[in-house]
Amino acid sequence: MAAKEMREPMKLKFWLIWIAAIVITVVVFASGHSTPRKYPERKLVRFWHRWQGDWEKQVQKICDAFNESQDKYEVVAVSVPGSGADAKFILGVIGGDPPDLMSMGSGAVPNMAANGFLTPLETLMTPVEKTEFFKQSYPAIRDIGTYKGSCYGVTIGADLMALYVNVKQLRDAGLDPDKFPKTIEELEDWGLKLNKYDSKGNLTRLGLLFSDVGYLSHNFGGGFNVKDDGKLELDTPQNLRALEEIVNYRKKIGFENVLRFQAGLNDIEGAASWAFMHGDLSITYDGQWRVEELRKFKPDLEYRVYPIPPPKVGGTPLGGLVGGNYMIVPISAKQKQGAWEFLKFWTGLDNPDRAATFYNMGGWLPYSPSVAHSPTFQKWLKHDSQFQAFLDILASPNCKAPPPIANLQFLNDLITRAEDQATRGASTPKEALQELESKYREESNKRKALGYEQ
Amino acid sequence: MARRSNHKAKQYLTGYLFVSPWLIGFLAFTVWPFFQSIYLSFTRYNIVSPAKWVGTANYRMLLTQDELFWKSAWVTIKFAIISVPLAIVVGIALALLLNINVKGITVFRTIFYLPSIVPTVATSVLFIWILNPNIGLVNRVLEIFGIKGPAWLNTSPWAFYSLVMMSLWGVGGSMIIYLAGLKDIPVHLYEAATIDGANAIRKMRHITLPMMTPVIFFNLVMGIIGSFQYFTQAFVIAPNGGPQDSTYFYSLYLYNRAWKYLDMGYASAMAWMLFLIVIVLTGLVFRTQKKWVHYGG
Repeated sequence: MAAKEMREPMKLKFWLIWIAAIVITVVVFASGHSTPRKYPERKLVRFWHRWQGDWEKQVQKICDAFNESQDKYEVVAVSVPGSGADAKFILGVIGGDPPDLMSMGSGAVPNMAANGFLTPLETLMTPVEKTEFFKQSYPAIRDIGTYKGSCYGVTIGADLMALYVNVKQLRDAGLDPDKFPKTIEELEDWGLKLNKYDSKGNLTRLGLLFSDVGYLSHNFGGGFNVKDDGKLELDTPQNLRALEEIVNYRKKIGFENVLRFQAGLNDIEGAASWAFMHGDLSITYDGQWRVEELRKFKPDLEYRVYPIPPPKVGGTPLGGLVGGNYMIVPISAKQKQGAWEFLKFWTGLDNPDRAATFYNMGGWLPYSPSVAHSPTFQKWLKHDSQFQAFLDILASPNCKAPPPIANLQFLNDLITRAEDQATRGASTPKEALQELESKYREESNKRKALGYEQ
Repeated sequence: MARRSNHKAKQYLTGYLFVSPWLIGFLAFTVWPFFQSIYLSFTRYNIVSPAKWVGTANYRMLLTQDELFWKSAWVTIKFAIISVPLAIVVGIALALLLNINVKGITVFRTIFYLPSIVPTVATSVLFIWILNPNIGLVNRVLEIFGIKGPAWLNTSPWAFYSLVMMSLWGVGGSMIIYLAGLKDIPVHLYEAATIDGANAIRKMRHITLPMMTPVIFFNLVMGIIGSFQYFTQAFVIAPNGGPQDSTYFYSLYLYNRAWKYLDMGYASAMAWMLFLIVIVLTGLVFRTQKKWVHYGG
């Protein structure tokens, strides 16, 4: 009897534990959203972005600033890192639960637009905003978010590349960092002088390395383009010269040597481990975000930034190819207007001077000269004067956007593959470009036959 | 009689109710997509817009116009040809070693099994470091012997063989099965062989290996299927196919077609081609089993 009485409370306790476990599980998994809200009474704007580390903190600060600036919307930012971000976005759209705003890699924008994933942003703009946006934006930034005449992406993080120069190492090598070469040929000589080797012949410091033919081709007056009428500009003399430059220069140092050296570098973006900061690279080709990183993590390093000089013959000064993070609004977003208000706030379409602070926080390129010329931006530029090189490239007519074609990702992969083949000596630069063009043509014909957007 | 059958029906119902969560998941997330993908492979489909019928165009283009399809298929077949037998040999060898009765053998078994439960992404990141040409463990060890190791993951064909080597990292899973197979071999067979004067090699050749053939057969089939679905490591290490496409595995190309180029119809056709290849190869292996697999002890 006593044992039975003992068992009763035990049984009750057992069931109570089970019920509590089920209730907790239901509350945790079935609640609408797990991200805590500061302003639950406001309309929720869900923002997915790809920034991590220090950048993620800056993005959060911008969201906080927007949330404090008005009382209608609350932007909740979620970092969706890396290579799976686009797939997660696609699943979000088809599952009926997309973000309201997302920062997407520029290469994916035309394809997503062509396939009906994105909202044309003009539909969210007032007529005045529309006029202002198309009038004010830097042409390359405007073009990269445009597909078939509609704007699908607005940048808040456009990327450009230029040459970072270690002043001390140049001086030690007897080179004057303030009289930077005016041609690629001269620059090559400087690079070779700056290389350092150990007793076994292994590189210990890399003077300079050319890569990224998609970008460099713009300095040679070329670029990998597909015109509106379908005409291909891939295997062109200018692109060939750019690829030959990369291959021939690499041959001089030794492909294997470069590869080993590069693989040993602990080169993580957004962190203080950039090889240039530690003197492993004398002149290196990198993006504008490094200016802000150098200010934060290596303020005492003396450096300069110069645009890539054109070749002696037939080049274009201040050539560049814009890329980076583009803000898009999914077609099935629930809070499109809120997303647009936040986008306007961040880009500075309504207040360039206020937005200048945001661009400076992440070392991002502004979307328009009105932001670049604003007092706040100009003040920041005095401290980070090396950033000016990127603004010069951005304002140049030789700074271009990639072709607004639906299969841009495929073209980008082909360009990477062609460069890989040529630099490894598996094919000559000419053969690599011929193959690139024929592969692209094949794919285009295939897409045409299947009825895909071109 | 009616009461009895009623009771039986109730029992069935209860049984089905218990398995229903799995059954519903299986029908919704495996069976339906499986058949749906057959239809999709004959369409142009980008997930958001309705699928458009294109007949056999996807298959035609795949077989006649897509060089990367053949290239990636060859990389995968080559991987299967090398890695599956290698995994069998290493798995059996390890199982034989770990079948020896020495002190602390359970600890060794645990140590050899542990790598197979480490998440694949973590393993891949680890190998990126281990195989780094300058600071990696492998080249550091080779350096001690005066050998300058290659840039494993950055050059062809080393990148491919690095992945083959990496695949052995997870051999602990099959090793456990081989070990169970070894434990299952009746001791009296060895006793009889000893009485007949058989040495260790003869015992291995005429008892151990024949008795292990059902387990080898199982691991062979699973290995073939697994190697044709090889994806994560290649995706983490070289999402675009590695140096000169040397690690552009079939599943990686399929993934890129589906999620990068939004070509779901084409990717579905690729998935069905893969299914057919795996079915044919598995069928061939099954057909040969009568000749070399010995059941019963």
